[in-house]
Amino acid sequence: MRDEAPTRMIWREDCSFSRKRRIELCPLRAGFWDSIRSGFLKNNNTQVVETPTTLLEDEEPLPQEIVLLERTQSDGIVEQIVFSSAGDVDLYDLQTLCDKVGWPRRPLSKVAASLKNSYLVATLHSITRLPDAGTERKQLIGMARATSDHAFNATIWDVLVDPSYQGQGLGKALVEQLIRALLQRDIGNITLFADSKVVDFYKNLGFEADPEGIKGMFWFPRF
Amino acid sequence: MQIHTSSFSLPTSTPKPKPFRPIIASSFSISDQDLQSRGFTQHRSSTDLDLDALNTIFARVGFPRRDLTRIRRALDHSSSLLWLSHSKPGEPVAFARATGDGVFNAVVWDVVVDPSFQGIGLGRAVMERIVADLRGMGIVNIALYAEPRVIGFYRPLGFAADPDGIKGMVFSKKNIINRAS
Repeated sequence: MRDEAPTRMIWREDCSFSRKRRIELCPLRAGFWDSIRSGFLKNNNTQVVETPTTLLEDEEPLPQEIVLLERTQSDGIVEQIVFSSAGDVDLYDLQTLCDKVGWPRRPLSKVAASLKNSYLVATLHSITRLPDAGTERKQLIGMARATSDHAFNATIWDVLVDPSYQGQGLGKALVEQLIRALLQRDIGNITLFADSKVVDFYKNLGFEADPEGIKGMFWFPRF
Repeated sequence: MQIHTSSFSLPTSTPKPKPFRPIIASSFSISDQDLQSRGFTQHRSSTDLDLDALNTIFARVGFPRRDLTRIRRALDHSSSLLWLSHSKPGEPVAFARATGDGVFNAVVWDVVVDPSFQGIGLGRAVMERIVADLRGMGIVNIALYAEPRVIGFYRPLGFAADPDGIKGMVFSKKNIINRAS
């Protein structure tokens, strides 16, 4: 097992750390970004692009890039995990990712259309760079998307994280940031349909199953 | 527009592939002709829809009244919608819409029938057509959220609750706030 330099947390304030997890990421709070902005940018050259906190009416928030974590390996390679709501997805990278998580292949043209017709497409990328080299390698390691009527309801689909990056809180961060982006756009009703195995995962993110007895129903499901 | 039952050809060992014919739902419970003869007009665009009247039906069935600009935006970004009018043009007596990605998934929202027109099959008529429209787009994953008292309404339309244990979930801001304190 390779010795790694300590992992540096990007978010520090208002974090609730679970003893079980080596890396924990923070729950969403209003005004959170303002409170930590000056704090963590001081001693590092981490690039974080912030959306403006005040929006004009009917103005769409800018796509957002957030460095979720940065770690330096013993060989000096720096890796950043970056969240983005810009929806910059290479279809072949996505296909590779879906293969890794064991999802059945779907026609690329349909996948392209589904992304184009989604309201928000969020990605997690691993960006690695050598300390002295100018080059960097960018790898898609997670994705989630939401469809919406742009006013009231949004539904989250296709949340996936590369298996070699699972267990680090990245899936949680991905969904949290997607929710944040939707709330920023004033979408009040955020929904999803969860496999029985991941119901608890989403409960921990603030989702409620069958609220007030309201049931998710599917048309002639193929089960 | 009459929908007929089509046969479904499975590719066999014959050398020439037959053209694929998708299964279309058998005739609607109330046909297009019957709807028309009973004085109902079908609309699949929201151009002529009186949004204030829509808001009123929402209120009558217990949905919240909403900002008209946002309703307009929601309708403009719905992949499918259908409403029926009766004697007053522009005034909906039944309504349903669906959102989605246009290829894989769709969710049906805001299915309403004006209380004075309930009980004659209009909800069913609207739902059957929305589902047929979505299937016509190739979408087979069609979902919705049903209050307990209408689960029975959706079942005969082909909808099943929690298939294979899949749960419909809704994000609640208060859950986050409660956990953090």
